[in-house]
Amino acid sequence: MDELELLKKDWKNAEKHYPSLSHDEIYKMTHSKSSSIVKWIFYISLIELGLGLILALVNPRIDNEIIYPTWLEAIGYFTIPVLIYFIVMFYKNYKSISATDNVRKLIKNILKTRKTVKYYVLFNLIFTGIFSAIAVFIAYIQASGGYEKFNETAHFKEYAILVLVIVLFSALFIAIAYGLYYLLYGILLKRLNRNYDELKKLEV
Amino acid sequence: MNKELEHRFVEQLQKHQNIVHKVCRLYTNNADAHNDLFQEITIQLWRAYPKFRGDSKFSTWMYRVGLNTAITLYRKSKRRINTQEFNTVEFKIKAEEYDDTEEQQLKLLYKAVHQLNDIEKALVFLYLEDKDYREISQTLGITEVNARVKMNRVKKKLKTILNP
Repeated sequence: MDELELLKKDWKNAEKHYPSLSHDEIYKMTHSKSSSIVKWIFYISLIELGLGLILALVNPRIDNEIIYPTWLEAIGYFTIPVLIYFIVMFYKNYKSISATDNVRKLIKNILKTRKTVKYYVLFNLIFTGIFSAIAVFIAYIQASGGYEKFNETAHFKEYAILVLVIVLFSALFIAIAYGLYYLLYGILLKRLNRNYDELKKLEV
Repeated sequence: MNKELEHRFVEQLQKHQNIVHKVCRLYTNNADAHNDLFQEITIQLWRAYPKFRGDSKFSTWMYRVGLNTAITLYRKSKRRINTQEFNTVEFKIKAEEYDDTEEQQLKLLYKAVHQLNDIEKALVFLYLEDKDYREISQTLGITEVNARVKMNRVKKKLKTILNP
């Protein structure tokens, strides 16, 4: 006999052996807390979205003695509409997650929601990197007595070293942050990705 | 109104609770995990219930939400023992004990099914529940042809696990 047919026969026989939960027991369950992955993703995303906004609104000023040009500040505020766009997209994607969709669509929607936040964080990281690189550059020049003085004394070598150090530090910062992020989501979404790949593989 | 809706929901779920138990049976391997998953499916069903329009059967709708929860939404709790990956060593030992009695074979079969991946389990589950390929494909979101192809592969895989 076919293996599955044998299993099917037993499967039907087992029907009467399952536990029978009472009305009250099930009622209680409907009021218990969900531990679904979507809930986790939602909370983590909220924290990330919030942190990004706080970072954009509260421009940290490390040293008050340095006067930054207004255009630099303007760029800082310019990012707020971009962040809001991401948040709206996140909300829309999140709303589209429904347990009554088919398996493939459900996983796809969850991953899409996650991806929006990923791009949001990436945008924040890169922007913070560039922004702080410019800020450090300006601060350094001011600290060494203003642009003219720096220009007089500095040669190509000094310029090159300064730019290199700033770029390296920014890149390192972004790489470490993104690496940690990647690791965290690699673990959290491992099962989802695996199942989605399995379904996608079938469609080739 | 809401209370009335809730009681109607619980009533329907209680009547069809075997569907949920069966999903739990395939996707978990101890009593604690079984209860955990049962609870999560119940929560997801209740949440989705306002959108249930009754144009499909309550039980059909349950299959979808139940599988979605087991495959996608449910987070394995720490108590749950992970379903092992295909482990040849273990099965060689088992194969030596292989006895032709039906019960022994069934035991091995269930063990083999537990070793399948989440998607393969869903196919086996729907097959055991006498669902046709149309419904299987609609539940998983793949084409009917691919559902058939995959089902044949699962059958082969089960055979290999049982007769290494």
